[in-house]
Amino acid sequence: MLKIEDLHVEVDHKEILHGLDLEIPEGEVHAVMGPNGSGKSTLAYALAGRDGYAVTRGRILYRGRDLTAMAPEERAREGVFLAFQYPVEIPGVVNANFLKSAVNAVRRHRGETELDAMEFLKLARQKLKLLNMDEALLSRPINVGFSGGEKKRNEIFQMWMLDPRLAVLDETDSGLDIDALKVVAEGVNALRGPSRAILLITHYQRLLDYVVPDKVHVLAGGRIIKSGGKELALELEAKGYADVVKAAA
Amino acid sequence: MNVETAPRSTDFQPFARPERLGKSPAWLDSVREAAIERFRKEGFPTPKLESWKFTNLGPLARTTFRDAAAIKDPELTRAALEPYRLTPDCHLIVFVNGRFRPDLSALDHVPDGTRIVDLAAGDEEDLRALTAPPAVAVDPRARSLVDLNTACMSDGAIVHLGRGAILDPVQLLFVAVPGAEPTAFHLRNLIRAEAGSSATVLESYVGLGEGIYWTSALTQVAIAPNAVLRHYKLQAEGRSAFHVAETSARLDHQAAYRMFVASLGSSLCRNEIDVDLAATDSAARLAGTTLARGSQHLDTTVRIEHSRPRGISAQEFKNVVDGRAHAVFQGRIRVAPDAQKTDAQQVSRSLLLSSTAGVDTKPELEILADDVKCSHGATIGDLDEEALFYLRARGVSEAEARRLLIDAFIGELIEHITVDAVRAYFRRAFDHWLADGTRS
Repeated sequence: MLKIEDLHVEVDHKEILHGLDLEIPEGEVHAVMGPNGSGKSTLAYALAGRDGYAVTRGRILYRGRDLTAMAPEERAREGVFLAFQYPVEIPGVVNANFLKSAVNAVRRHRGETELDAMEFLKLARQKLKLLNMDEALLSRPINVGFSGGEKKRNEIFQMWMLDPRLAVLDETDSGLDIDALKVVAEGVNALRGPSRAILLITHYQRLLDYVVPDKVHVLAGGRIIKSGGKELALELEAKGYADVVKAAA
Repeated sequence: MNVETAPRSTDFQPFARPERLGKSPAWLDSVREAAIERFRKEGFPTPKLESWKFTNLGPLARTTFRDAAAIKDPELTRAALEPYRLTPDCHLIVFVNGRFRPDLSALDHVPDGTRIVDLAAGDEEDLRALTAPPAVAVDPRARSLVDLNTACMSDGAIVHLGRGAILDPVQLLFVAVPGAEPTAFHLRNLIRAEAGSSATVLESYVGLGEGIYWTSALTQVAIAPNAVLRHYKLQAEGRSAFHVAETSARLDHQAAYRMFVASLGSSLCRNEIDVDLAATDSAARLAGTTLARGSQHLDTTVRIEHSRPRGISAQEFKNVVDGRAHAVFQGRIRVAPDAQKTDAQQVSRSLLLSSTAGVDTKPELEILADDVKCSHGATIGDLDEEALFYLRARGVSEAEARRLLIDAFIGELIEHITVDAVRAYFRRAFDHWLADGTRS
């Protein structure tokens, strides 16, 4: 599904990723864990195509196609979803209007018929109910006045609505209390399936108690320095990043 | 050598013979003669004048315009005007190329105690009110176009609400159908709201077809004690048009004035709004939006005069500027020594959509009373990059994401319009403007 080869990414003329390799096959959930400043968010933004995250070497192959040549919206329509670490507040843009545009852009791209207002509302209500979220969210401006937990749940809701093939979750666990964490984890687990891949980017191991990954990778200094099974997350938790990074060096 | 003498100023003849004002009283003739004399002396205002610093009327001054009376009335049907109407059944007075068109108007159900007529039907009192000096005094040189309008006015609407009258929305629709040669239309309107009356008045200026023309319009507004006027204006002139207009409002005791203006048409526009809170406890709430693209230059200049105590004024103006266009917002608030307990607020926000778009905003506060609440603020920015990326990362195209964010910026102003039909009208105009942008 996703194959990253020798990825170098510069931000403000400073190289942050120095040759990152990562492969996530269909149907798997991988976690990339790393200390602050290791390049986790840079990886997320490079996958989503944010301006200013310049790929200077290497490539990102998504279902065999070079992702770096695509605009952010093309990636989204091709099935790449990034759940933001800090979801943006957008006053004046109502969730339902925005999400209907997004869902229909994706559907058009897939050759499916667009949803009319009623069909959209029906689908949205159904997903919100499953996530135990209030449908008042639909008529509110995007993320405005939302608590940290609400913003993250809104990301999960949007992910469900857009039905991605590759979901990248950037520190979706940060700033959540245990109840919100469980909701988010259930939201992610429900998306697991043979035709999807999920990349969890996280600093802490605790999300991985609820979303058990097939593989764990350690990102440090802009490279993957170690990969292993789910037990690697526990090792990181027990020993801390410093020891693992030193041992790998 | 004197650059302030506009080259074409002497081409204007006083329209002593507007057929609709055929039997004008002697005093009016002398007012108009004096006005054209002043205009001949001053010519067009130039950027040397402080209040015209940001707007150069050179392109207008250099154009030779024909008298509107020289062109014959274009064939137009009611159906052709349908898209510009407020609602299918509102009171409607239509002017085409500066002339009243009873055949296109809908004035059959105007209630007793209210008059909606054209200038020819105005009485002495109307004409006095129509030709009164604008509500806020300025350097007379900056007002030479009002003089020209006084001299040349050929027609316009009079909306007169008797005591306690309540009037459903009325639309004054000014349609220009330009011909091959540049033509000027000088309109003078009057809205008189007697004590305790209440009305909603929409002025729409639209252009059909291509061609150069100039709409010069002055709307006099007089609001008597305890009367309420909701006044709206859409400036959607043709793309080669000039639009120079003034709204001048005088508010009496406890009068309430709401004004909203959307300025999105014409190549060069100067829209002035002067409000005098001339008696105690009056309130003026002004809002508006300027939407400029291409090489448009759209200027909104507001002057609020707090003459008497306990007046409230609020201004909220927003500009969206794209391409090589230029928007100007000037807002002056003057609080007279006597106007204690005044509350005056002004906010202007501008969104620049391209690196070649420009905006000038100039707040001006002159406060001569000591017990007042006054504030002003201005912001200029571009679209939030983070918000754009967020929307695009969910599959929304860049154009659509930009549209959503522009809509968010302006939509709020439109949402605040209290009259449902008018809100829907401006919503349509705004949606149309947004859609136009993605086509071009």
